[in-house]
Amino acid sequence: MLDDLNRLEPFRAEIRSWLAANLPSDWQQGMLGAAEADHVAFQKWWFAKLMEGGYGAPHWPKEWGGSGFSFAEQIVLYEEIARAGAPRLILYFIALHHVLGTLLHWGTEEQRRRHLPAVLAGDEIWCQGFSEPNAGSDLANLRARAERRGDHYVVNGQKTWSSNAHHARYCLLLARTDPDASKTKGISYFILDLQTPGVSLRPIKQMTGASHFNEIFLDDVLIPAENLIGPENGGWAVAQSTLSSERGLSVLELAERMRQGFGLLLDDARKVRSDGRLPYEDDEIRRRLVDVHSRIEALRLLVNQQLTSILKDEAIGVEPSMIKLYYSDLLRDFTELGVAVGGIDAQYLQAVLMGSANETGYWMQDYLYSWAWTISGGSSEIQRNIIAERGLGLPREPQARAA
Amino acid sequence: MDLQLTEEQQALVAALQDIMQDHAELPQERRLSYAWHDAGLQTLLGESGFLDAAREIGPLEAALVVFEAGKGIAALDTIGCGLVAPLLLPDLRIEGPVALVDRRDLGKAIRNLSISGTLLVDCGEDVALLPLAGFAIDSVDSIFAFPYGRFAERPDLSSARRLPGAGAAMRQWWRVGIAAEMAGAADAAIAFTIDYVKQRHVFGRPVGSFQSVQHRLVQRHGWAKSLYYLTMKAAWSGAESDAAIAACFAQTGIQSLMFDLHQFHGGMGVTIEHLLHFWTYRIRALQAEAGGLSASALAIAERRWTEAGSEVDAVPARVAGL
Ligand SMILES: Cc1cc2nc3c(=O)[nH]c(=O)nc-3n(C[C@H](O)[C@H](O)[C@H](O)COP(=O)(O)OP(=O)(O)OC[C@H]3O[C@@H](n4cnc5c(N)ncnc54)[C@H](O)[C@@H]3O)c2cc1C
Repeated sequence: MLDDLNRLEPFRAEIRSWLAANLPSDWQQGMLGAAEADHVAFQKWWFAKLMEGGYGAPHWPKEWGGSGFSFAEQIVLYEEIARAGAPRLILYFIALHHVLGTLLHWGTEEQRRRHLPAVLAGDEIWCQGFSEPNAGSDLANLRARAERRGDHYVVNGQKTWSSNAHHARYCLLLARTDPDASKTKGISYFILDLQTPGVSLRPIKQMTGASHFNEIFLDDVLIPAENLIGPENGGWAVAQSTLSSERGLSVLELAERMRQGFGLLLDDARKVRSDGRLPYEDDEIRRRLVDVHSRIEALRLLVNQQLTSILKDEAIGVEPSMIKLYYSDLLRDFTELGVAVGGIDAQYLQAVLMGSANETGYWMQDYLYSWAWTISGGSSEIQRNIIAERGLGLPREPQARAA
Repeated sequence: MDLQLTEEQQALVAALQDIMQDHAELPQERRLSYAWHDAGLQTLLGESGFLDAAREIGPLEAALVVFEAGKGIAALDTIGCGLVAPLLLPDLRIEGPVALVDRRDLGKAIRNLSISGTLLVDCGEDVALLPLAGFAIDSVDSIFAFPYGRFAERPDLSSARRLPGAGAAMRQWWRVGIAAEMAGAADAAIAFTIDYVKQRHVFGRPVGSFQSVQHRLVQRHGWAKSLYYLTMKAAWSGAESDAAIAACFAQTGIQSLMFDLHQFHGGMGVTIEHLLHFWTYRIRALQAEAGGLSASALAIAERRWTEAGSEVDAVPARVAGL
């Protein structure tokens, strides 16, 4: 793959100098323990800045206001963004990836026109309302009910774990339209305006002290029928395409960020701690540093392999699951080593660095946050099931319950 | 680096796999042995040019040969004669297997010594090249799935040909070879176990349908894949540090690999009546040459981060204070 990227060195240089000129070098100072409003304002500002430079919507087609970059160009861009330690555009993630992918594939022209330009203008933050108290890994078990009445659907139910819903205007919502159909068959996919009467949010406090996700309660919420995406009762297939719309680029960014973050770990290991000890002198610490370092290299090679396949238009198998699993296992060990290196000084909960990479050098934060990675986006156990059955060809587990 | 194989590399691999397929059966009389060296296959690989890949194409292709041959049930020498020797001695064509040893281990049992015509000795700075004709070599019984031999008398290296300054390169390619053969053997051992757990039924269902089995196999598979990529990167880059990382990483996953694969064979897994040990004991033997997990890791840290002028991993800016 790198062979393909070599041709893009001038492009890389352009991005690098643009980032050097436009990324505020002290942005992290401002975002450490920042108030929610400041965090939102800064994300908006940075997104606008990126759009101005032509880098905000690299994978969006030109006709919808994006840069229409080739896949190889996107790879280079994400590598450079990670290298520069720029903020992650977490508030726009769903809008930029899931909304685009879903609307381009399944949406109506009207839906695209209504939302896509507004996303790029920075006006629309989106969230995802898939999970429910009794539907996480077993997503098809979802119960939120949408009943058609005239030009509207009336929705009742509860969603949970919805990241950044408290900053969002719209939500990609899954609800059941046919309670009698088998599990995956009776689900539909909607655009929900979170300002509709009957929608209420409750933030959930995480173990890191932050509140990134929310419960969403839906009481007789009216959704106009034109907000249905794809066919009624065909929402399961739409959801599958939403979830596969990232094409490996976010994990590329995360892997490159982790490689950068390794510098922080090494740096801390080689500093004398307040207890007078130098962690690097400990053989076990050095051994673990090498282990983490090697696995970061292996992760990058796995990602590289997947991206190469995508570049060559080859079918992708279970690689995304393997990489997700590999990354989240590694992130835990990485951040756990951070806590060990930090010693007693790293044992308390620091302020959250908003919009940062998963490795900030505030090791207890990083460590606790790493626990979310083995759960969100399909837990490690679910990934292992997928790899075992579809990758290794092992026999399916007998179903506990009829599907 | 392009990790996907080119068409030529794919053709090389496919041709080798064909040959390996024809030699996948263990001869009946070897059924209960610990080691099986397939001399016919060894000769065939030489005659068909696979062991010339390092010289004729490059180290990456040679590492692919070591990897693919490592998947076979038979013990062969591909590391010595297919990778290390041709890269150290591009102009000298050596016939047959080449054994490798650290000078300090000359008196010990040496892997492949009894089947080799040549020995390369890592003397630290230099390498000594010792043709073995005329030396009395006792074969050593071992469980380590390779033929082992020991010099009846410790050889005198003073008259052996010296390759000045070649020590580092020998260790580097030896490591790449160890990692490649371990990756190949691990891959095959995992595949062998997957076959077994699909066929063996307990409680009315295949063992492989139990999650506790599935998930551990997935973890081992992920490790083997990582090892493959780290190894191929080391072969491709030719960087000493990449070789060290691949060989070190190769040693990290062994304990759980051995345990899980044998465990999933149930009682069968503690016998030699199945074939698993032909791969797993080979892995063990190779591991013994890889330098030790802890020592290898500490050496990497030393080279990379401790020594003056060592490679420095980038340290990004961080937020000052709280
Ligand atoms: C940080 C974070 C952000 C999130 N953001 C969103 C969001 O924006 N929108 C949204 O809709 N959802 C979101 N989620 C929800 C996420 O998708 C679910 O948490 C996840 O799918 C797991 O579901 P669950 O929490 O119900 O756990 P459960 O499904 O109850 O799982 C509990 C445990 O059982 C294991 N398990 C479950 N099934 C199996 C099985 N078949 N075999 C073996 N083990 C099994 C799981 O691995 C887990 O360890 C987020 C979650 C987190 C942690």
